[in-house]
Amino acid sequence: MRVVLSNSAGVPLYQQIKEQVQTAIQSGDLAEGAALPSVRALARDLRISVITTTRAYAELAAEGFIATIPGKGAYVQRLDSALVREQLLRQVEDGLQTALDVARRAGLQRDDLIQILDGLIQAEQEDISDDRVAAQQRA
Amino acid sequence: MTGLQLSSAPEIRKDPPVSTDLAFALRGVGSAVSDNFALRDVSFELPTGYVMGLIGANGAGKTTTIRCLLGIRPIDTGEIELLGHLVPGPVALRQEIGVVLDHAFLVSDWRLTEVERTLRPFYDRWDGARYRQLLDEFGLDLRAKVKDLSRGMSVKLMIAVALSHRARLLVFDEPTSGLDPVTRDELAGIIGDFLLDEGHSVLFSTHITSDLDRIGDYLTLMHNGRVVQTGTKDEVLDAYRVVRGGPDDLRECVGVQLIGIRRTSTAAQALVRTSEADLLGGNVLVEIPTLEDIAIHVGARDPQRNPDRDAGAGRRQPDSPMPTGRNA
Amino acid sequence: MTAVARMAMLNLRTVAPYRYQGFLVFALGVLLFAGKPTVLVPALVFFFTSQFASYPFNVADKAGLDTLYAVLPLPRRSMLYGHYAWAIALFVATASVSTVLAVLLARAQTVPFSGRTVMTVLALSWALFAVNVAIQLPLLIRFGYTRVSVLGTALPLAVVLGTVYKLHLTVPSTQVWLPVLWIAGAVALMASAAIATTADRRRMRSSGPAPKIH
Repeated sequence: MRVVLSNSAGVPLYQQIKEQVQTAIQSGDLAEGAALPSVRALARDLRISVITTTRAYAELAAEGFIATIPGKGAYVQRLDSALVREQLLRQVEDGLQTALDVARRAGLQRDDLIQILDGLIQAEQEDISDDRVAAQQRA
Repeated sequence: MTGLQLSSAPEIRKDPPVSTDLAFALRGVGSAVSDNFALRDVSFELPTGYVMGLIGANGAGKTTTIRCLLGIRPIDTGEIELLGHLVPGPVALRQEIGVVLDHAFLVSDWRLTEVERTLRPFYDRWDGARYRQLLDEFGLDLRAKVKDLSRGMSVKLMIAVALSHRARLLVFDEPTSGLDPVTRDELAGIIGDFLLDEGHSVLFSTHITSDLDRIGDYLTLMHNGRVVQTGTKDEVLDAYRVVRGGPDDLRECVGVQLIGIRRTSTAAQALVRTSEADLLGGNVLVEIPTLEDIAIHVGARDPQRNPDRDAGAGRRQPDSPMPTGRNA
Repeated sequence: MTAVARMAMLNLRTVAPYRYQGFLVFALGVLLFAGKPTVLVPALVFFFTSQFASYPFNVADKAGLDTLYAVLPLPRRSMLYGHYAWAIALFVATASVSTVLAVLLARAQTVPFSGRTVMTVLALSWALFAVNVAIQLPLLIRFGYTRVSVLGTALPLAVVLGTVYKLHLTVPSTQVWLPVLWIAGAVALMASAAIATTADRRRMRSSGPAPKIH
């Protein structure tokens, strides 16, 4: 498992661990069922406090990314469990709420927002098809 | 996974019986040292399995507190619980405690082999193989004499001794003063290894806050013989804010105690309790402090807070870090 | 091994690095008194034990062994009695060796050295040793070697020499009092040990040895 902590990120250490483990799980670097180092081993390796790693694992477990079995350790959970989906939905909601807050300040209406959303989705589709064309040209 | 279970040495927890899961607890401890210095109402505790940093300036009372904790110094009021026993507990309790200072409190002309031969008879669970392995890991020559060791190596020797008799509580009293950053970092690694076993705990007193910035689980801040703040590291850091402003911005506000205010011609900086931070005007910058900020401001020499500092001469000082020989 | 014996061993190991100086002092003592075999035993025992019963305190002060004693699983009382045990062990070793040497020297010089004489010199040695140590140890325990040092060795010396002078003690004249010497010595040591325990408690109360020197 790869965790790289930054002192100057301004983000609390436990948060950094959480995010990196989350990313690793979501990207598949950490497979389902993979064993994570114990909170103490992780604390020792990263030279941080046990309370910090414990908190990171506790929150990851609460959000369904990992499961801790007393006496055994921590393991990666199935990615599409209900809790993980809920967590992702919450993230979408948070993102949209942020956009809404900014939009209000800019005086945008609902239709404007939907227009921007459609534009983003379209741009993404175009990127994907551009990549596909480029790949075909190389082949 | 069962392999991991074996290495956590459950036999340590079997004897003697532990009644609580606190490594230690001090409750309302008071101990007079001299006319001008005493520990007053010192209370803090550490759950088993974690490291507590005891932070304070020189003279804050850290060493005195440690001596009381270990039963070396009698207390006037309060009670102390150590590994489940009321201090002074049974002598056998010392089997489980390792004390590490910034020097080896051993005869300087002993070779490291003699150190083992001398200390071994006192401990029920001395692991000779472990001792030799640790010395090797720490780069200490068995044939070297105690006086040949540098300060950092002396610290490592005492750690090796403590680990060899299977201590489950390590008490460090300012082990890093005078040590280079490399050795201090190695020490953090050694503590991390020690805490792999959740039955192990560490008390680490220092005035160098960077020692505990990252690895400290719990913190206790001391000043003038009193505990100023105690709790998890996050709780302690969250209890204060650093406030910065122009030289005239930080005048005494009603209801706000400006801790250790530092005023120059261009700026002023102080520490305030988080609960009071809102009472300051909008002109000041309020930030989460670092441990160093807290230590500096809490420990600052403030004549208003320490009226007896300037009173009289010939006061006896609080205990200096544990008794030492001249060949320190 | 009992805790007291462990402490005596600790004292032995504390002074062990300096044993060659010890042997030298012993050898010098032998040379000094070689001509008077009867005086050899009590004199050697007295001077030698006077120096080396207190030597662990000397080393302990310099090395900060106070901390070690407090940290080791060693009952405080055993630690204190261990000092006495160490002193007595020293007595036994010194007395045996010097008696053997005295007998040999006496034989070489064709000086009479009867069994009676041996008993007398041993009893005398014990008494001298006991009084000396009985005075020294509580002082050392209470104040540590640095504060006691010369006074600690000179005082018992003065007391004993003064007594010897006052009572015109010589080896022949003490023959009647042998059992008394043994008992008196033992009593002195036991009383001393009791005083030492109290003295130690007062030492614990005080702030402890001198502060750190950077």
